[in-house]
Amino acid sequence: MSQPNSLTILDPTDEIDPLVRVLAPRPTTLTGTVGVIDISKPRGDVFCDELEILLHKQFPEVNVIRLRKSTFTKPSPRDFRLEIIRRCSGVIQALAD
Amino acid sequence: MSRLPTVGSHAPAFTLRGDRNQEYPFPSATDAQAELLIFLKHDCATCSMIVPVVEHLYQTTERSDLRVLAVSQSSGDDTAAFLKQNRLTFPTALDVDLTVSDHYGFDAVPALVLTAPTGAVLGSAEGWSKVAWTQLLGEIAARCSFVPDANTILTAALEDLPETRPGCGSRTHEPEVASRWAVSRGRTLLAARRVNIPVRQDPFEFMVDRGLTDGLPVVPPTEQKVVEMLTGTSRTPSEIVAKVPPNLAAVTVEKVAINAVMAGCRPEYLPIVLTALEAACSDQFNLHGVLATTYFAGPVVVVNGPIRREIGLNCEGNVFGQGSRANATIGRALQLVVRNVGGGKPGEVDMSTLGQPGKFTCCIGEHEEASCWDPLHVERGFAQSDSTVTVFAGESPRAIRDQLSRSAGSLATSIGLALESVAHVKLHAMGEVMLVISPEHARTFAQDNFSKIDLRTCIQQVTARPLQELLPNSICEKGMLAASLPQSWRNPDGQPTPEARTRKVPKFEHADKIIIVVAGGTAGKFSAVLGGWASGGAGSTSVTKQIVF
Repeated sequence: MSQPNSLTILDPTDEIDPLVRVLAPRPTTLTGTVGVIDISKPRGDVFCDELEILLHKQFPEVNVIRLRKSTFTKPSPRDFRLEIIRRCSGVIQALAD
Repeated sequence: MSRLPTVGSHAPAFTLRGDRNQEYPFPSATDAQAELLIFLKHDCATCSMIVPVVEHLYQTTERSDLRVLAVSQSSGDDTAAFLKQNRLTFPTALDVDLTVSDHYGFDAVPALVLTAPTGAVLGSAEGWSKVAWTQLLGEIAARCSFVPDANTILTAALEDLPETRPGCGSRTHEPEVASRWAVSRGRTLLAARRVNIPVRQDPFEFMVDRGLTDGLPVVPPTEQKVVEMLTGTSRTPSEIVAKVPPNLAAVTVEKVAINAVMAGCRPEYLPIVLTALEAACSDQFNLHGVLATTYFAGPVVVVNGPIRREIGLNCEGNVFGQGSRANATIGRALQLVVRNVGGGKPGEVDMSTLGQPGKFTCCIGEHEEASCWDPLHVERGFAQSDSTVTVFAGESPRAIRDQLSRSAGSLATSIGLALESVAHVKLHAMGEVMLVISPEHARTFAQDNFSKIDLRTCIQQVTARPLQELLPNSICEKGMLAASLPQSWRNPDGQPTPEARTRKVPKFEHADKIIIVVAGGTAGKFSAVLGGWASGGAGSTSVTKQIVF
């Protein structure tokens, strides 16, 4: 109901109250399997290669696996997200250009 | 079209007041066997003509059997004068805000409705018809008692009356009243959350504070404005048009209408906005990627077909520029939906490094009348008479200046050379690009019967460069990446083979990646190019859709 002397407008948004996205808790140590995700931008593999070498050196007990998004232009497909959850205890995602 | 209740339906119940505030409920909840409602207004000649007949009926039936109630659409004073002038004594209620008239839905007064005590309609009529009146009298006679001589009196009253006479327009059809009632009815169909802006607060500042604008002033989307906007389409307000990235929020026709009001659209633009949104939200267009990229791309809307002229969309001079309401607001409405419903905001999901002015709005019509070729929509399989929208993920327009070429071959060569700079001269085998040919340049092509295919072929020929020239080198580290080349062009180490290095690579992956549109004013030997974004499955491909009205 419009208040006296007020202007009533219609909400142009999707009316979903904004949710504050909380970052997933960061691990204090690296254990298990760590996924290094290349989002498939050019030269992303160069960066991921270096990262993998560093991980092997500094965390020899950690199992490093490489993952790659099909394209950087679209959100990760559901199957890919499930694969990450199934296989990894932590992930490092690399942007590159 | 009249919605007057007819036999078999139920007359809406109501309670109105008379000139001395007396209450007149309908149905009356008395012992009456029938009730006769007569809707009238003081300045209706047909009403004046028939009220004596109604008065005679009122006088000659048993009051306890027949209840007669007039409902006046006129003011209290006008009604009182009318009753006095015609010596009327039957009860008359005032339909001050025309609520009851609107519910009864008739087009003309007098409107007569005869009901049983339950409200079930026994008969109804609009205007005057002796036949209809006689039928109503028959229904009344079957239920009510008359005083002696009633038949003589009622027959005499009819003697001087014509067989038929049309009524006068109901006041509910006066433009101001009709608009008020359209809003009232439409309001109930609107599902959006209502937001009250306090009177002391500027509506624009209010909406800016809540992140609802693109930075420019917007029109407050009031219920009345949104209802008016929705008259531009036959689609129902609750229909879901698309899921808008990045939040993949389901957007209804109503939400699009709200944002179209804010953008400044007229109702007749709404079908274009709706169809452009559907096209932009297709998997092929990949709006998510277009939004999220750090590149410049934004939706470029191209309209074809008769709707361009019907709504006054600019296809001519300054076509990409300011000054045309339709062009300015259609593209803007699309962007506001993406922002407000989809959540695609700069600095959040919209990560464009530099952006471009076209991300406020970019909508043009093809100047089909000045073209020597089939317009874009006909090329894409639609009929010339169809109205369509094409969305293309494009950069800002960039000038191609050639005032010297007098032959089609020279002009095509010249345009091709200019196109080599799209994105970067060392980037070839690129995806879609939009070439906007001006009418003067189109005439040069027309005089030599140069087809679109000829133009595309020429562009590909004159831009073809040996791959070696396009690879990154120590002088310029930019160039085509070996990884982007076909497998057969590469050695096992991934580098191009010697043979591949000599192969000529045209600017575009295929000739048909060059979208050609004719637009602009008839003076000026300038055309324009709008570079695209990544094409193909991972990028964006332009989409053309027929406009749904």
